[in-house]
Amino acid sequence: MALAIRFALFGCTNRPFFHIVVMEKRRAQRSGKIKEMIGSYDPMPNQDNQKLVAVDFQKLQKWLGFGAVPTKHVAELLGLGGFYPIHPMSYIKAKRKRKLMEKQPADMQAKEEAQETEAIQVNEDTQPVSTEDASQ
Amino acid sequence: MAASMKCAWARCLSTILLNSTKHRCQISQPLYASCSNISGDSGNDEIIFRKGEGGTDQTGQEAGLADDTKKHRRDPGKAFTDVRVQKILLRLTGLDLDKVYEYRAAKGAGVAKVALMSDQQLKKVYESASYKALRKLQMPPVLGAREPIDEVLSEDPELEGLNTSKLVFIDISQRVPLKKRTIVVREPNGTLRKASWEERDVTLQKYFPQSGRKIGLPRMFQQDNLECMLDDGKHEYILNRACSQFEIDDPEYIRVTQRTYEHIHSNGKFEDLRSTRHFGPMIFYFTYYKKIDKLLVAFLEEESLEDSVDLVKLYHIVHPSCKSAEKVASMPDPTPLEIIGAFAEMDATQKSLVQQAIQTYEKECDSTDSTQLRR
Repeated sequence: MALAIRFALFGCTNRPFFHIVVMEKRRAQRSGKIKEMIGSYDPMPNQDNQKLVAVDFQKLQKWLGFGAVPTKHVAELLGLGGFYPIHPMSYIKAKRKRKLMEKQPADMQAKEEAQETEAIQVNEDTQPVSTEDASQ
Repeated sequence: MAASMKCAWARCLSTILLNSTKHRCQISQPLYASCSNISGDSGNDEIIFRKGEGGTDQTGQEAGLADDTKKHRRDPGKAFTDVRVQKILLRLTGLDLDKVYEYRAAKGAGVAKVALMSDQQLKKVYESASYKALRKLQMPPVLGAREPIDEVLSEDPELEGLNTSKLVFIDISQRVPLKKRTIVVREPNGTLRKASWEERDVTLQKYFPQSGRKIGLPRMFQQDNLECMLDDGKHEYILNRACSQFEIDDPEYIRVTQRTYEHIHSNGKFEDLRSTRHFGPMIFYFTYYKKIDKLLVAFLEEESLEDSVDLVKLYHIVHPSCKSAEKVASMPDPTPLEIIGAFAEMDATQKSLVQQAIQTYEKECDSTDSTQLRR
């Protein structure tokens, strides 16, 4: 199984909150099989219009040393933070949004971001493999 | 009055401690995270000490601790941490055990214990209480305002439009001192920069909360509310809370403390802070900014000659190039009154006031001497 550095979606309805965790890539995030929690990402901006990201970089580097691979979205986030070079998808998304902005008003921008959050949820929230359940 | 406030025991003890080699006037590092660099260790890249110090030694004796240039206005810290200054401030603060151990309504404040003891046991308890009290009297350092953080790590205009909000990244690795934690911000226009001091304080308080601090500025420290508190006479409370809320080099801390000192100065209520940890910084503030006249008069009116001389000596250490310092240095063996007189003549801004106070003091001394002789 692939060891990944990924988001684990917690929070509740209409209020997402991601923990940045080390766990196997294709496991359900709330299965309780997290190897280590190394940070958090709050996708909802606060009063100062900030999205807070906390990462334990020492642990991150340790797990990268063990061969853990960050998922797409984690890699994007780390790129924005300066740990990795900026992910090509960041540039592509930015360009797409700029194009949309030219056509649509500003409040659609927020909608796009909400949809993006959902996209992360869908990617990270994978079904457990059925054969494993059968063997248990 | 100052002499009567100090219990003879505690005064004796503090003199012993000041003179002993074991007791060194150092700022306790665990108490204040922001002054971890002040002891003058080499290799520390504290911004304050980088500014144009060039070639001055650690004790600052040659350079002159507060040269009358613009430079020193940003850095009272160097003068404050001088050992001679610290000793004088400690002496002036005094040690009134009753005041230090006054009951305060606070969490963890226990009920007083009553015990039956022999004289020897009582002596031991007094000793340990005095040592602990000295720790309570540790002074929050007086520093210059911190320089704003203005470092851009990367410009990426092609990320424009990706986010409408800022992304704040904080490193939550273990065992990293608060001041060294990396906090960076990715702006909506794509710039990656280091977080400003205000952003740092708020973010650190969120992830590494310190007790007694609030996120953002407490309403008490807003200008109008601060004035209300000052008029109510809550100087010590304001200073204590400022100490727990702000970092020592925060411009807000400096504003609040300086406003409090000025209020005390205009009302002449210097004794309110006597035997608290804020007395030293207050005296230092007045000395550094050359406003000791009213203070000197207050000491003389209380007939504490030692305090008055200490104050003038402090002035001479902090401003070694002033005229009275040079005059006193040239005198072979100056008496306390001569030292104060020299200051009054040459460096006092309110010359007549100070000289009048000296004359009153001398008269009082003569009259008490004569009454004692008669007895």
